[in-house]
Amino acid sequence: MIKSKVLIIDDEVEFASTLCQRLKLRGIAAIDMFSGTEGLKNLVKINPGIVILDLKMPDMSGLDVLEKIKEHDPSIEVIMLTGHGSSGSGAEAKRKGAFAYAMKPLDITELIDTIQSADNKRNKA
Amino acid sequence: MRRKHRLWLEKLLPSPLEGKDNRVGMGHGYKYFSKGLSIILMILVFVPLGLISILAHYQYEQLLQDEEMYQLVLNLEEAQNTIEEFVSELQSIVKFVARDDRYQELLDPKELKALFIHLKNEYPGFADIEIIDSKGTQKAYFGPYTLQDHNYSDQAWYKEVLLHGVHISNVFSGFRNVPHFVIAASRKHPQKEGHWVLRVTIDVKTLQKFIDTSNTSYADDMFLVDSECIVQTQPRKYGKIGEKCVLQIKEDMAMDHLKQTGQEEEQTSIYTESPGIVIVKKTFEGEEITHAVADLLGTPWKLVFVKEQYLYADKWLQFKLKLVTMILSCVIIAVFVILEISTAITNHLRESDKKRQQLYSEAEQSNKLASIGRLAAGVAHEINNPLSIINQKTGLIQDFMEMTDDFEHKEMMKEAHESIQKNVNRCKTITHRLLGFARVTDFETEEIDVNVILREVIDFLAKEAMYNQIRIDFNLDENVSKIISDRSSLQQIFLNITNNAIDAIGSNGTITLSSRQVNKSTIQVDITDDGPGMSYEVRKRIFEPFFTTKETGKGTGLGLSITYGLVKKLGGNIRVISEIGKGTTFEITLLIQQHEKTS
Repeated sequence: MIKSKVLIIDDEVEFASTLCQRLKLRGIAAIDMFSGTEGLKNLVKINPGIVILDLKMPDMSGLDVLEKIKEHDPSIEVIMLTGHGSSGSGAEAKRKGAFAYAMKPLDITELIDTIQSADNKRNKA
Repeated sequence: MRRKHRLWLEKLLPSPLEGKDNRVGMGHGYKYFSKGLSIILMILVFVPLGLISILAHYQYEQLLQDEEMYQLVLNLEEAQNTIEEFVSELQSIVKFVARDDRYQELLDPKELKALFIHLKNEYPGFADIEIIDSKGTQKAYFGPYTLQDHNYSDQAWYKEVLLHGVHISNVFSGFRNVPHFVIAASRKHPQKEGHWVLRVTIDVKTLQKFIDTSNTSYADDMFLVDSECIVQTQPRKYGKIGEKCVLQIKEDMAMDHLKQTGQEEEQTSIYTESPGIVIVKKTFEGEEITHAVADLLGTPWKLVFVKEQYLYADKWLQFKLKLVTMILSCVIIAVFVILEISTAITNHLRESDKKRQQLYSEAEQSNKLASIGRLAAGVAHEINNPLSIINQKTGLIQDFMEMTDDFEHKEMMKEAHESIQKNVNRCKTITHRLLGFARVTDFETEEIDVNVILREVIDFLAKEAMYNQIRIDFNLDENVSKIISDRSSLQQIFLNITNNAIDAIGSNGTITLSSRQVNKSTIQVDITDDGPGMSYEVRKRIFEPFFTTKETGKGTGLGLSITYGLVKKLGGNIRVISEIGKGTTFEITLLIQQHEKTS
């Protein structure tokens, strides 16, 4: 059972909304935002426990958004999404405090496992 | 000007790389180059050699000729002097016995006889003696004829002797058919006006004997002729006394005259070294002879001197032989050296061109692979996003289907959905591998023994190799340096190549893995199989993504391109050596210490 609220930030609207829908179907409280700026703006209002964040977005890079989120609330766990294979950016994101990174196209089961781990980590803390 | 100068050189020495794309034509370029180079070098060597040889030939010939002429003139002058002296001695004797006051005395036949006998004792050639009075009448005579009271006053010789005091006649056949000549001397008549004359006839033998003794071994023949070229003393070979000289000396003299008066004739063989001496070279009865003619002062004669052979014939022949031998050996040595040099230069050039081309094609290949990689990554990235959406949408469909009760065709839709999902996953694998080929992966570097990794990889493939009856040999240098590198990348590299080797062999064969130290900073791993090998065309494209020789569906064509990408990322190099029927070797060079990379 995942207690944390999940915020999805990705400029690919269809991807973000579908993922959001699928998480909701699995009983996870999920909200989708379609740009880094929008996500950060609504961060306080939404107050997510976990953020699924795309690495590459036009207005603001995923890594910058990650830094801002961690500045705002270090307890928020961030799962980075990358379309770059096992790229260096995933590792850098991890160094900057991301909980994990997952490669697009996503395997929903693997993603839910990762979300579960992040949620467990938050609950422990 | 400089450009022009270069053009002919380029024409003569074509760049051997011209038409380098035409692999067949390549060898010809070098052949032409080598030929051109040889020709230029040969011209450089042979033209001066030839010129020097010709110069040496003519200089030496000239030297010998001059020397010979000098010798000839020297000998001739010597003979000339001796004969002149002898004739003048005869003249002096005649003049001496015909003292002015002896006229009366000599008219007495007894006295004349006594004088004649006295003279004949000294010169046995004296044939007769006579005294002529001032009117030209023979007054006394001693000799084989009787006194005949001849009157000589009309004769030319008498006039001459009166004019000059002395006269020497040409040779004539006198009594007994023996050739003679005459010396006459005139003296003032003691009582009357005018002159009396003493005339002596001398056998030519006297002269002949003298000439024969003074003839040096130098001359092949020596004799006297008169001004009309009538032979006066017996030659050894060239004519008879009283006949015209066979050597046509008069014509030569005439030609000399022409030459002296400036009307130059084509006859170049006339030399006038000293005044009064003419030297002529001509062919006589098929033999080349040199003859010289000298005036004898105080006589009506000319001395003819004949030299049959070239004096320095042997020396000249020896010199020519030496010259030819020297030139020939120079030519042989030069040709040999030039051919060696031009072959060596051409080979050197060919080698360096080959190396340069190899470097060039390697660089070209890695450039090509890099751009293919970028393109592939770009395409993969662009496809990856829509693929993610398709993936999510199919996931959503699945979610809904699972939540929905059975409906018509649900099973068929489920099957269709599964197929979509399967193919999405297939695409996913490709895009991920492509991105992996192009992008910098994260390395976890550690100290690694490549031998250990090679053994691990083979453990992993041992079963497959065994099923295919493929033997795996190790030829590992146990002292090879440990390297700082990424374990999983190395595993993947070796696994991919060995896997390919197994596929290439099919069944029954050997794969050899070897490792060795190249230098302080590099090691090398070779993976060799004795499979069918590859053609040049295949070898050229082997690292390109999607290039595969395997059956459709069996290989993605990404294995080796990923391997290539990984090796490059590790800072190493990979090279394939293969020929059809001779198997394949992959050479992987790896840095021992990785250079720090700025990301």
